[in-house]
Amino acid sequence: MGLLALGTALDWPDAQKRAQQVREWGIKQLLEIWNKAKHKERDGMLWGDEVEYIVVRYSEDAPNVLLSLRQADILSALAADEELSAKGGGVPDLQDVKVQNPNPLPVFHPEFGRFMLEATPGKPWGPGIKELLDVESDMKIRRKIAKDHMESEEYPLTLTTFPRLGVPGAFTDPYYPPSGSKLRSQFVPDEIANPHIRFPTLAANIRWRRGRKVQVNVPVFHDEKTPNPWKDPTVNYDLHNWPEDDDVRNGAAPDNFIHMDAMAFGMGSCCLQITLQAKNIKEGRQMYDQLSPLGPIMLALTAATPIYKGFLADTDVRWNQISRAVDDRTAEELGEKPLKENQRRIPKSRYASNSTYISTDPRLRPEYFDPNLVIDESIKAKLVEGGMDDLLATHFAHLFIRDPIVIFNEDLEELDLTKTDHFENLQSTNWQHMRFKPPPAGSDIGWRVEFRPMEIQITDFENAAFSVFMVLISRAILSFDLNFYIPIAKVDENMETAHARDAVLEKKFYFRKNPFPNRVPRSAAGSNTNSPTSSRPASPVSPVEDEYALMTINEVINGFKSEEHDFPGLISIVESYLDAVNVDVQTRCELSIYLDLIRKRASGDLWTAAKWIRNFVAKHPEYKRDSVVNDEIAKGLVSAVIDIGKREQASQGWKGLNIPDLGNFLGSFRGGCGSNGVKRAADEIN
Amino acid sequence: MMRIVLSTGNIVTGGPSIIRKPGTPRSNLELTNSLRSNFSAAQKDYAPSPVSSNGNGPHHGNGYSVNGNGRPAIDAWTATEDSVLYVPRVDWTVAGLQEDRERYEITLKLFFLPTASVANRTAYIEEAWRLVTKELGVDRIDLLIASFPGISFEGDCEWEADKINATMGNDDEEIMTWTALESLYEQGKVSRLGIAEFGTEKLQRFINRVKGAGILADDENAQNGLQGTLIPEWVVKYTAFVNYRGVIENKGYFAGAELAKA
Repeated sequence: MGLLALGTALDWPDAQKRAQQVREWGIKQLLEIWNKAKHKERDGMLWGDEVEYIVVRYSEDAPNVLLSLRQADILSALAADEELSAKGGGVPDLQDVKVQNPNPLPVFHPEFGRFMLEATPGKPWGPGIKELLDVESDMKIRRKIAKDHMESEEYPLTLTTFPRLGVPGAFTDPYYPPSGSKLRSQFVPDEIANPHIRFPTLAANIRWRRGRKVQVNVPVFHDEKTPNPWKDPTVNYDLHNWPEDDDVRNGAAPDNFIHMDAMAFGMGSCCLQITLQAKNIKEGRQMYDQLSPLGPIMLALTAATPIYKGFLADTDVRWNQISRAVDDRTAEELGEKPLKENQRRIPKSRYASNSTYISTDPRLRPEYFDPNLVIDESIKAKLVEGGMDDLLATHFAHLFIRDPIVIFNEDLEELDLTKTDHFENLQSTNWQHMRFKPPPAGSDIGWRVEFRPMEIQITDFENAAFSVFMVLISRAILSFDLNFYIPIAKVDENMETAHARDAVLEKKFYFRKNPFPNRVPRSAAGSNTNSPTSSRPASPVSPVEDEYALMTINEVINGFKSEEHDFPGLISIVESYLDAVNVDVQTRCELSIYLDLIRKRASGDLWTAAKWIRNFVAKHPEYKRDSVVNDEIAKGLVSAVIDIGKREQASQGWKGLNIPDLGNFLGSFRGGCGSNGVKRAADEIN
Repeated sequence: MMRIVLSTGNIVTGGPSIIRKPGTPRSNLELTNSLRSNFSAAQKDYAPSPVSSNGNGPHHGNGYSVNGNGRPAIDAWTATEDSVLYVPRVDWTVAGLQEDRERYEITLKLFFLPTASVANRTAYIEEAWRLVTKELGVDRIDLLIASFPGISFEGDCEWEADKINATMGNDDEEIMTWTALESLYEQGKVSRLGIAEFGTEKLQRFINRVKGAGILADDENAQNGLQGTLIPEWVVKYTAFVNYRGVIENKGYFAGAELAKA
């Protein structure tokens, strides 16, 4: 019941006074974990996926579709379901969920947005290749159970964002007026956030620390009839309820940007996250580093976020909006004012791409690091003194430049070294695109890495495909000892590139040309260590700039051959892994369907959700080529997504649905959009 | 007549030869490519003096015999043990697995080639088992899959091909061989036996290359290879899969052949 533990949450001025104490205690707890778990060995490859939903209220007769704020009621209904809890499912935050069941039902969790739900499998997935085929049906069961505990007009949708979040007038059910004391947003009410004290405090203290509201500005998409310059017509410059209402008068809402001003615009986004357990800390550090350069690639490939606040945006993904929605940096830290109160300039939000590498791999060259990485030197010194190596100490000393945002008074009375609450306070409010997760206190869980950049996909089929792909590529990385290192600054740059409209087809990304390990000469392998990690850097060492090139997503995923390069592509790498593993023909065929989806999204044969949504809007009779996504268009879009979901739940395929461009989006997968489909095992939901 | 054992070593961390070409089905290219790269690696490693990684430039005169092309002569990078010629020489001291035996699923896939005598299959089975268990430092194989000549299965996912398989092969010969395989099972040397869905036809290109001894010689320098006619007999593919991690630690091939002197 960790997340929702009750207590007295400190307002920012009080929290700020205790920040150093929380950091120091957090470091002590971290060193305690480190010393206990640094030699932890032979943990199995367990993994988990997290699917997030928005909950909408939709009926054919209602003029518009609304976000349902009944999260608490839905979670209570799920927790009260005796059959669900008897089978190992339920809501861990509200009840003790039994885990004895060998095949437990899924579990549900609250999220920041009061219109959101998160669902995870009832227990982690194991290392077996065949288990990968259970993911899709489990995701379908999750959606079914969620829906069964909602009202008939409520639907759990895997859309990254609600297209009408923050528009003037009603967009939630029930309606609440905006401009509350916590968020002070002129667009969304305080009631948009989960009412548990943690969440409004998080939002309020981010704003308070920052000294003004967050500024989530996303460039508007300029269509034929969109004015240029475009001024966000929903911004009210004459509001005088809170001091922060001055923000827009002070230039918070520049021309040609959709302006948003609250954490909910970012943290209200849904994503697809994968967590992988490593056999030991060394393997965890290796996976953290090697999956890191894949982050921007997978972000662009899963792009699904073209609409904000009722307008078409000129970007396709959610990432930077979340980054800005929780950016608690002060004007001094942002470099807008000389340093006086604050200790240092900080170049990135606490939600941002990875800042450093942590592996002990000898192939990790000094040139890959950011020479300007900001760290807290005193914290690093404490970690090193406590026995942690320099690289990992640097990583945590970077995370710990931040202040803890939500502090409960009760937790400050006594330091409990059997817990990890203070460490987690900092760790879990550093939202980088990967997270390196030490073993939690009092459990047998091992070192883990979380892969966080992917956008949630509209169907469970797609979500399963991307989850399965990430698991397979992680196994291929470890088996073949692959090397995807590029300078971390290039990963940052790729992350920005991934935002562009249709980046998946239009942009190029820095990627390593040769991902293979160097051969270990027989003389060097003379002892009884055929460990892959004995691979050595190239000798003589070539300039780092020669190691990578700009590639399209299609080239990264599907490979290419030119006079200079011969890059096999991630799909071929995964297939070669599967070639070497004992997999029965049917399993292999099922997996190849997932790989096909990814192959086709990368090549442009199929569209990303972002492109499909854009085209849906463009073809809607109500759309006036002015970038405005009004109630009727949003309703049409949600209606289409609901219809797609109903067909998927019934394993019927999408044939005959009167939805534009569905074939370009989902192709002939899972029963297809145009032809007769073949029913497959993964279509069965029970 | 001379017995020859060709080997790839562990190809899992050996670079691109294990990665199939984009858009192509799985094929025997992996075997020929990884043999070739292991040969060239061995020639470098057993060259007379350390060869820098940019690789060219002749080195002469310290122990190993050298041919005119700067490569070591064949006796430098091959070895004869118990009158079997190993190409390249195998360094058994680096053999073995990293974790405890029970962590692995070790699979051995044995291809009987149409160019070899059916009567000798018992010996091939024993030799393949001996080589793989020595290379991996184990005394038991979890799964041995036999693959017989005349069975083909194309592509990754073609259900029809599976049905066609049922009509191919030679039942009497296969049953005789099966008896020999069962003896390994009875001795506890193999825990499970199976028949491959992917047949030996896949190896046709390998067979063609070996028959001409081309696999041992680069084209412009044939004296670097072996003199005579190579008759391939069997190929064994082995994999050591770390069950609890889903990771392949070791994968490679041995191939057995007879060299008939010209």
